[in-house]
Amino acid sequence: MAEYIKYVDVTKCDGCRACMVACKNWNDLPAEPEEFQGSVQSHANVTANTWNVLSFIEHEDSKGNLDYLFRHSSCFHCTDAACVKVCPEEAMHYTDFGSVNVDSDKCVGCGYCVQNCPFDVVQLATYKDKNGKEYKKAQKCTMCVDRLEEGMQPACVTTCHTDAMEFGTQEEMLKKAKKRLSEIKDKYPNAMIYNPEGVGGTHTIYVLAEKPSVYGLPEKPKVPTSAVVWKDYAQPIGKMMLGATSMALVGAFVSNKLFNKEGKGHEEDGGGSHE
Amino acid sequence: MKKSVVSKEYQKLQKDIIELQEQWKTSLNPDCVRPNLDKSAMEAGVPVNALAAIDFDISLFLQWIEDIGELLSKYQPEIETSMQSVKNLLDEETAKRWIDEAFAFNYIYFKSFAEENDLDGWIPQFVAETVLRPYLQMTAAKVQDEIHHGVHGAGCPVCGEPVRLAQLEGEGKKVLHCPRCSAHWNDRRVACSHCGNNDHETVKILTIEGESAAQIQICDECKGYTKVIDTRQYIVKPTPAMLDLNTIHLDFVAQEHGYKSAGETKQTN
Repeated sequence: MAEYIKYVDVTKCDGCRACMVACKNWNDLPAEPEEFQGSVQSHANVTANTWNVLSFIEHEDSKGNLDYLFRHSSCFHCTDAACVKVCPEEAMHYTDFGSVNVDSDKCVGCGYCVQNCPFDVVQLATYKDKNGKEYKKAQKCTMCVDRLEEGMQPACVTTCHTDAMEFGTQEEMLKKAKKRLSEIKDKYPNAMIYNPEGVGGTHTIYVLAEKPSVYGLPEKPKVPTSAVVWKDYAQPIGKMMLGATSMALVGAFVSNKLFNKEGKGHEEDGGGSHE
Repeated sequence: MKKSVVSKEYQKLQKDIIELQEQWKTSLNPDCVRPNLDKSAMEAGVPVNALAAIDFDISLFLQWIEDIGELLSKYQPEIETSMQSVKNLLDEETAKRWIDEAFAFNYIYFKSFAEENDLDGWIPQFVAETVLRPYLQMTAAKVQDEIHHGVHGAGCPVCGEPVRLAQLEGEGKKVLHCPRCSAHWNDRRVACSHCGNNDHETVKILTIEGESAAQIQICDECKGYTKVIDTRQYIVKPTPAMLDLNTIHLDFVAQEHGYKSAGETKQTN
């Protein structure tokens, strides 16, 4: 099956937030009242129940002029996704369309995906079962896989009235992005296509008007080395040798030792001296 | 999300038929269809096909019937004998008659033909209609640039098929599509595509839970309905014929609510 990507041209976005509403609506996500963020942005970041947030950035350009930048932010659906790498239960997986999805039945809420996502996209949602016991599940944008399976585009794309978002085959969308970049270079000298190689490219690509850091994005995101160590070495051996309970203990140990997101910049590989 | 009620196998068969029709079209000489664009006739609701000169190639027609027979037998081997008898029954005269009657959508003729020759009731008309469509589609393709609007109540301006399918395109424009000849033409968003009624009190919308891209526009004046599909939400746009087939549940819903396709409405009026 052909791989599909979502192409976001932030220079066409007018910040209407219809994509946020369409996402909440299609995925039946509950409303989350938020504190005032100090700007018109509604949520500080995506959450387990808000998979799509429109960020509003006040930016001073190189000439000292104020520019108001908008960006539709949701899961990037990395080709070489850290969340898939670290998931001990194979709940995080690739779909036939190339996007990354969570299998809620398999997810045990361990949170390794949250720790390792270079874009801070995956979050845990808390649910209560009928006995009042709380449990957690990872949640994030699914690229509306239930719509894709029916031959339809993601909800956010269909609602975008400025055509800032489009959905199509990888080849077609990359071509479009390159063409657009050449059109806006005069107006935005720092403009670039954001499709980071460190994660093998993504299935949500952007044409950004400014450098990624202006939009709060890592300049060079990577799959953390610790994730590779965990998945490729520790986990297979562990699974072979130990029962499920011991496995969970080892899992917790490895995650505490290896995953050290706090205090590390995004450019770090996350593994550091623990390797 | 709702999947189509039509089985995957039947969808596949229809896709194969559409593909076969595309192949047939390539074997036709484009000059065999010569539409006569009579503006006043079109304004009066006369379909373009009624005034078009079409040179039918009977040997090609017979070949196509053989092709479609082979395809159907692949899906339903028991049909092979029936298709063989159709082939034996069709001499040049009968073939010509079939073309005429398929054009006129004369189901009575085909029904009695089936009875007389001990065939399943659906076979003669289905086969005749299938092999006629490439000619209808060719006519539509030739005149498409001249077709902007239809006459309310007259059906498809090219082949006269009753209207039942619209697509939302561009900024939300309602474009009527004919699943039979693939012609398309514009209509007002809030107007009944059958009688032209544009009173917002009597032109209403039926929606189905879980259907994000489809709705049924109904008219309480003429009791007609039109399926309105937002194909902008699709990754790849389906052909009108496939779209019509895959949304057949909407026809059921509309008809269960007492609304009818235009042809029936005209008969009752």
